[in-house]
Amino acid sequence: MEEKNGSLADLQAWMQYALVHPEDLSAAEDADRLVLPSRALSPRQRLAIYQRGYYARLVQCLEGQFKVLCSTLGPPLFRDFAGAYLREYPSVSPTLSDLGERFADYLQQTRPDRDAGEKEPWVDFMVDLARFEWDLYRVFDARGHEGKPYAGFSVPDDQIGLQPCIFLREYRFPVSGYYTAVAQGKEADMPAPDRHFVAFCRKDYRIGIFTLLAPQFYFLSVLQQGAEVSVALGLTVEKFGANPEKARSAWHEWKNKWTEAGFFIDRGALSG
Amino acid sequence: MYTKDKYASAVTAMPNLGLGLGLRSVHFDHILGNRPEIAWFEAISENFMYSQGRPRYVLRRVAEHYPVVLHGVSLSIGSTETLNLEYLRKLKTLAEEVRPQWVSDHLCWTGVLGANTHDLLPLPLTEEALRHITGRIKQVQDFLERPLILENPSTYVSFTGSTIPEPEFLNLLTRETGCGLLLDVNNCYVTCFNSGYDPVAYIESLPHDRIVQIHLAGHQHCGTHIIDTHDRPVVAEVWKLFSLAWQRTGGVATLLEWDSNIPAFEDCLDELHKAKAFMKAHPDLAFDDVKPDEREPALSTPIDFLVPEVLLSHRDE
Repeated sequence: MEEKNGSLADLQAWMQYALVHPEDLSAAEDADRLVLPSRALSPRQRLAIYQRGYYARLVQCLEGQFKVLCSTLGPPLFRDFAGAYLREYPSVSPTLSDLGERFADYLQQTRPDRDAGEKEPWVDFMVDLARFEWDLYRVFDARGHEGKPYAGFSVPDDQIGLQPCIFLREYRFPVSGYYTAVAQGKEADMPAPDRHFVAFCRKDYRIGIFTLLAPQFYFLSVLQQGAEVSVALGLTVEKFGANPEKARSAWHEWKNKWTEAGFFIDRGALSG
Repeated sequence: MYTKDKYASAVTAMPNLGLGLGLRSVHFDHILGNRPEIAWFEAISENFMYSQGRPRYVLRRVAEHYPVVLHGVSLSIGSTETLNLEYLRKLKTLAEEVRPQWVSDHLCWTGVLGANTHDLLPLPLTEEALRHITGRIKQVQDFLERPLILENPSTYVSFTGSTIPEPEFLNLLTRETGCGLLLDVNNCYVTCFNSGYDPVAYIESLPHDRIVQIHLAGHQHCGTHIIDTHDRPVVAEVWKLFSLAWQRTGGVATLLEWDSNIPAFEDCLDELHKAKAFMKAHPDLAFDDVKPDEREPALSTPIDFLVPEVLLSHRDE
């Protein structure tokens, strides 16, 4: 028997459309046919409770995922961007953890100066900041090495590997110093553009943010692909035209610092 | 694969866990550090089933010391979209890991056409919806190999096409599938106020022996309607309904939800422990006129608490 007022699928498609497109008044008009009035509210007013909540709740979640970007842009402007993003990319995931996945790309694609010959540096900075916050958020909940041993100082170089929860990222601005200052409630000016290399390392569920030199970033990237230390070091020397002796000496310094921070695992222990 | 009678028997055997709280990330350190005296915790499934980091670790630790229940917000049992098997696989894996006393979700839908609104949207209560949801509950139960516990949602609209009262709809679902019920007395009050139903009659007509859990929460009265905000103490009218539900069920696991403006753990406990007085009381079902809260309306069913706080150790320049 056909249900009054159409099928369940029709009703759900209508209601979802009305939530995602509150500006389309014709969708709200259908409420007069599909929704009962209450003692105090018309069908459209009742539907509007869901319509008001839809974007507001999701934008609030994005504010939590991009706290420093929100504070930098100012909440009204951030909410405009976030609302537009959600209209373009509605959530398709059961988890809110994925909500901000494409936000930085969206900001890049829709940048206000996209048709101008010369790009505005502040837009690049906002996109970088969004990428940085998303990277941080991802590291927080990624597969990690907790519960298993990290490499000690005595592990031979040929057995050293990177632990799984290291993210290596490059930005166009020194964004990590700015992020940390604002996250701590301090005033900070937008920094000048400068290539910025970062390692995020999670150990015991806490994230360390390490600013790297270009050779360090390259070296760790090679190591992350599974190469041994000697190979990674050799390739780094070759790429940067460095003195091999000095590079070996630098590696010993890096090794101490990064071992303490939990960058490494003992591949020998894993295979043994 | 079990029969509905097998699921119904499993529901009957579910224990009264006592008084519990929703597990919220702002309380993680307090719970791990102090192991507070509380009977059990309810964890939002989606907050943990996709996690490979600290949230999942915390839930595992909590489950070592307390009974836990998994409570979902994205199963979308009423959606006309195909059931998300990847979602169910993740849920089952988490359930195998933390061994919850039961797994619950809402009588609602959250999205169609591939989207998730992350809202608990209302269903038209029709024969078609009943058939559709009955089939899906059976599928979910057979996949998870355990009965599903379904919660009555807060709703702000009712549909012209609805033909079955919500308590009867829930009753029919339990009979057809063997599933159990989570009675949210706050949602009951909110829905009944918003649609002009009698909350006492609502509770009286539920199948009380199928209810394994009660939810308590705060709401905002906006005069013309009530918003389910989970951001403040439980109001007197909801405590009265709790008292009635406690009497009718003979006492079941009871849990306080607090999802926005979340106070310190001890303050949540104080609010939860108010329930003890209402367990003993003879239900006083005289409802006074409630003065609306004239503040800016808060958001319904807040979800920003689902976004965890990232923990930094240090920054090295």
